[in-house]
Amino acid sequence: MPTMGSRQPLVPVLPSTDARRARVVSVSQRTAMANRILASIPPEDSQRLSRELEPVALRFDQTLYEPGKAIKYVYFPIDCLVSLLTAVDRRRTLEVGMVGNEGMAGMPFILGVGVSGVRALVQGAGRALRMASVPFRIEFDRNPALQQALYRYTYALMAQISQTAACNRFHEADQRLARWLLMTSDRVGADDFALTQEFLAHMLGLRRVGVTEAASELKRRKLIDYTRGQLRILDRRGLKKVSCACYEIVNLVFARAQRH
Amino acid sequence: MRLTDEQASRAPEAPPAPAAPDPHQNHLLDALPASDFERLAPHLEHFALDLGDVLYEPGVQMRYVYFPTTAIVSLLYVMEDGASAEIAIVGNEGILGISLFMGGESTPSRAVVQSAGYGYRMRAQLLKDEFGRFGPLMHLLLRYTQALITQMAQTAVCNRHHTVDQQLCRWLLLSLDRLACNELTMTQELIANMLGVRREGVTEAAGKLQDAGLVKYRRGKITVLDRPGLIKRSCECYAVVKKEFDRLLPYKAL
Repeated sequence: MPTMGSRQPLVPVLPSTDARRARVVSVSQRTAMANRILASIPPEDSQRLSRELEPVALRFDQTLYEPGKAIKYVYFPIDCLVSLLTAVDRRRTLEVGMVGNEGMAGMPFILGVGVSGVRALVQGAGRALRMASVPFRIEFDRNPALQQALYRYTYALMAQISQTAACNRFHEADQRLARWLLMTSDRVGADDFALTQEFLAHMLGLRRVGVTEAASELKRRKLIDYTRGQLRILDRRGLKKVSCACYEIVNLVFARAQRH
Repeated sequence: MRLTDEQASRAPEAPPAPAAPDPHQNHLLDALPASDFERLAPHLEHFALDLGDVLYEPGVQMRYVYFPTTAIVSLLYVMEDGASAEIAIVGNEGILGISLFMGGESTPSRAVVQSAGYGYRMRAQLLKDEFGRFGPLMHLLLRYTQALITQMAQTAVCNRHHTVDQQLCRWLLLSLDRLACNELTMTQELIANMLGVRREGVTEAAGKLQDAGLVKYRRGKITVLDRPGLIKRSCECYAVVKKEFDRLLPYKAL
């Protein structure tokens, strides 16, 4: 389970700057603002939304969605991290997207599709706000701000998935591992993670020996320390240099999608 | 519209020119209720999509959306060094330009005509207006978006785990599902850009399929001879994508 480090997450919690507004904001509304999508909803709408949002604590490796199964809840991460995975069989998988507090898990629901196409599992334990799918649907249909925010997020997520497709055509394992570590670290706000090689193998679509090789390369260059399932980033700048450009490109896409 | 295997073996070799072009030849448009279709019809312009035409470039504002009828368009991701790989394929089952209603004014990928043919185009603003009506077109477009996302995700895992000739098979099969014949007119360069390999890689991949009697590959035309054989040779990614499209967009057969 990733431990909390001293660095701020990539997408910071928005502080409530309006003092008057702060007085009428309920506890759950304040919490809701810790998710970027929810924070972009105007106060009048978000009050109604907050009533349907339920805080939950998500465990590492917990499965939120299975491909082909109905989506019962959508999740707005606060400080947890969700991985979206596709597979060709039980053994050969690939993480195609990461959802942190900049987004929402359960995106097919926005598109009117009640079933997930990918597997969603919790990569970084932490808190989220969940909402049952029926109330979410009702709220989504009547809330233009929520629609805008989620369509924009869908665009960013599609760009992330496209990037991953191209990345896996061209980039080497050590580049992809470096990118993955940077993306994860940004979203959980930590430099230390407990990670098995098997877990990394599932995320990166490698066999364990591929993970060992890629990790050894990063260790050799003193960019990470990785022993007995505990990985620590030692040199972020160096890691960025090894990473493929996909890291910066995805950052840019998300930054643009949030700027409106 | 897809030919049965029996029909495919009897199909003419050349792609048919549209005898009487009709927007109904695009499945998305065809699935609209008559009143919605009639409202859009005057704004749909029949348009030739020639081999290699670039319909969208990343970062460039989109002025039109496109509904292919007989052309196949690839969404290509272009890397910094100029190398490219296909992310998804769009034909008569879909639309080019969904970024518009997702709040993006441009696309993250390049849209290139991979197999020449025709389509309809419509001004981008009109699509946005239509989307804003919260009617049948919006629902169709959103479901189509989900199908496209599944395709992109499957392309990612396919690129990771499968071989180039399996990917070529997948691409040929998805294209055939979107055409009325069993022949594609392409160039080696376009196939190379689509697969993310150099030309030698294309010759090799296509050569393997030809040696196995699955395709005839000659002077820029690939003719599929044995569709069931191609399915056997392809990776499971073709079936996954096809199943998702059939599930989300249960179009009636044309």
